[in-house]
Amino acid sequence: MDEVKIMDEKKRNVSLNRPVEHDTTQFIVTQLGGEQYGIDIKYISNIIRMSKITRVPKVPNYIKGVINVRGVVIPTISLRLKMGLPEDQVTKKTRIIILTLEQHESIGVLVDEVKEVVTLDEEHIERMGYEKDEKERFLSGVGKSDGKLISLLDITSVLAEVVDV
Amino acid sequence: MDTSQYLDIFLDESKEHLQNLSDQIMDLEQNPENMDTINEIFRAAHSLKGMAGTMGYKRMQTLTHDMENVFSEVRNGTFKVLPGMIDILFKSLDALEEYVNNIQQTTEEGTNDNQDLIDALNSILKNNGEVIIGQSATPTKAVEAAPTVKDESANTKREKWQDIKITDTERMLIDKAYSEGLKVFGVTVYVEEACVLKAARAFLVFKALEKLGEIIVSSPTAQDIEDEKFDLTFSLILISGNTTEEIIEAVKSVSEIEEAFCAEYTLAKSEKPTEPEKTVESKPVEESKPAATTVSKTVSAPAQTSAATIKPTAPAAVTPSSATSSSSSKPATKPVVNRTVRVDIEKLDNLMNLVSELIIAKNSLISATAADDNKGDNGSVNEQIEYLESVTTNLHESVMKVRMVPIESVVAKFPRMIRDLSKKLNKKMELYMTGEDTELDRTVVDEIGDPLMHMLRNSADHGLEPNDVRVANGKPEVGSIFLDAYQDGNNVVIEVRDDGGGINVEAVRNKAIERGTVTPEQAETMTEKEIIDLLFLPSFSTAKKVSDVSGRGVGLDVVKSKIESLSGEVEVKNRFGEGSSWIIRLPLTLAIIQALMVVIGDEKYAIALGSIQTIEDVLPEDIKLVQAKEVIHIRGTVIPIIRMDKVLDMPPREGDKNKNLTVIIVKKGEKQAGLVVDELIGQQEVVIKSMGKYIKVPKMISGATILGNGEVALILDTNALI
Repeated sequence: MDEVKIMDEKKRNVSLNRPVEHDTTQFIVTQLGGEQYGIDIKYISNIIRMSKITRVPKVPNYIKGVINVRGVVIPTISLRLKMGLPEDQVTKKTRIIILTLEQHESIGVLVDEVKEVVTLDEEHIERMGYEKDEKERFLSGVGKSDGKLISLLDITSVLAEVVDV
Repeated sequence: MDTSQYLDIFLDESKEHLQNLSDQIMDLEQNPENMDTINEIFRAAHSLKGMAGTMGYKRMQTLTHDMENVFSEVRNGTFKVLPGMIDILFKSLDALEEYVNNIQQTTEEGTNDNQDLIDALNSILKNNGEVIIGQSATPTKAVEAAPTVKDESANTKREKWQDIKITDTERMLIDKAYSEGLKVFGVTVYVEEACVLKAARAFLVFKALEKLGEIIVSSPTAQDIEDEKFDLTFSLILISGNTTEEIIEAVKSVSEIEEAFCAEYTLAKSEKPTEPEKTVESKPVEESKPAATTVSKTVSAPAQTSAATIKPTAPAAVTPSSATSSSSSKPATKPVVNRTVRVDIEKLDNLMNLVSELIIAKNSLISATAADDNKGDNGSVNEQIEYLESVTTNLHESVMKVRMVPIESVVAKFPRMIRDLSKKLNKKMELYMTGEDTELDRTVVDEIGDPLMHMLRNSADHGLEPNDVRVANGKPEVGSIFLDAYQDGNNVVIEVRDDGGGINVEAVRNKAIERGTVTPEQAETMTEKEIIDLLFLPSFSTAKKVSDVSGRGVGLDVVKSKIESLSGEVEVKNRFGEGSSWIIRLPLTLAIIQALMVVIGDEKYAIALGSIQTIEDVLPEDIKLVQAKEVIHIRGTVIPIIRMDKVLDMPPREGDKNKNLTVIIVKKGEKQAGLVVDELIGQQEVVIKSMGKYIKVPKMISGATILGNGEVALILDTNALI
């Protein structure tokens, strides 16, 4: 299984001999439909290629099933379905991002593609107001990087809803 | 001294001692005269006191000390065990348990002095076993001697040699010594608490004293002292021409001796009414005194040799004579203790995880070789894999067994609880337990206590009718509660049963309507089982009175969710007027099971082998419809059919409708069902993995497992399907 290892922000900066900057957040930029979404790197423990997902009966449709990541069974959800986008089309570029919010509790999210890692400081992040529509519910803000706009996912609120269901 | 490293051991052992005390006191209540029990209690209390003292828990030490004093007097026969005393002892036990709990949580014993209990215990001592106003006490000699015993209690506590009971032979020796102008001394020696080789020290004391004179009797017996069957003290009676100072000096010349008490031993003293138990015994001596001196020549010869041989190498011959003299204070034979090692449960979990990984790796190997099978001959590889398989299976079983503990540790406290409830509720009841040795995974055993306790309380409070009602209904006055545990396939079943009134379904129905839980129309159509299930809803209690035993409405729902969190389930069997039984079914283990792998649609599922009875090949036309439900008729029983593809929301397989069906007959208790699957793969050991909390799996899925090829397969919980 190919894996893209993500280094801890500080370690990465140190290894690249960069000064550690404050008030910056690193995001993994993913492609979902036509848009780019950023996921805070601190939640990401692993990114794996598409593997066989075992369907679980009688669960909401956005829960795709469970996968085996190094001997641990991890539920996997479709961000697309969760956000009201059309069903995923599995391609060579499809990846499962393993998020770990709490110790030992992980969840996988399906994304169309993983593009790059960006570092944004607070200046380049526009926080969202309270009025959010259906799709924007899960966004914590919008980041600007090289003239592109990246919607920043509020992972905790995405997962909070999963747990509730 | 830093004692923190001993805290774990202290807690474990304290709990064991407390449980032991509780059991023994229960026993004592039934048989107040049983000396073995009294000795056992005394020993447990004493060890507990010593441990608390070593750890610096003063309050706990004080309380146990006072309990020990009471037992010490009971053991000496000063007074008898009375019901009121048992109550105070139980209260003291509760207080001790509270100390231990406090220590477990905060490492401090807490600030509750329990002065009232200490006072109560002391008043028992003062009043010779009578609690406050003794009503039932038969006027024993001890009672008559009350004031003197109290005065001398300080002395008798230290100079334990006064408690030594002497036989006629010894009495003769003493008389002879007097007539020869020698003195008789009572000696009590206290060994230091830290002393490691108590027996060796005692031996040296004996040696030293034998130089000064002749030891005629000791308590405990020489044999017991040699076997280290004594606490920190021992007493003896010595015939010698030396002074008390010289004797004390001789004893103290041995190192690690904390204190020695010595005083002249006079038989005359025992004739005073102050020593009631000796009064009886010494009288015949008085009468036979003239005779004794004349016969002494003949008797003393064997007696002297036996007395002289009181040293660690004493032949058995000496034991009988002295054993009878001190039989009341001599501890009963040591209980057989299993040779055990305490292991942190985390280490076991770790070991279990490693075994799981090993099994997964082995399964991968099997599937890898199976894929290569047609490429050529790899017989020797298969052979090795089979060997590996048997090793991993054995390893797994061993690790499993290590994790299994008998439920005894949990249920042992219940007799005491029922006893207390019986008093509190003023109902006569008896608890009968079977299968305490049934074993369950440690994690399950730790969790099962509270639910069981709750169900027992329910039975005692709601289940059993008041005694007069029982008599009026033609039942025995004393209610019975049964707790039965046994293994059933891959499950362990624990049944709480009573012979009380059973659940009044109509009362529950009315209550549900009253509470608005269901509408009257709904209630009409509900079956008895559905009504009973209402009891498991949060805040639903039908007890008319709210007592502190049960009836606060928190309970059965908690019981249910707890048991479900352990992958178990609760079932109720109710016979109105005759009692009810609550059946808890728990999985034997939560980690690795033998499973049958099946294919349903295009997905693989595992079914626990333990719940499978048979696998049948069924012709489509053998499936009949009963009340619009599919059933099959197999060997005289009608079994409902469950189409697994439908249950799992799968499109039915394309193919011949007339093809034979593969039906797996599964059972749950007495119920059966036939699961229709598409293919059978085979038997396999599967490691149960949790699916995490981000996914709320349906009840019929009990977990997931990882197959040899790395795919995940779900495990079907057949109990939820039936």
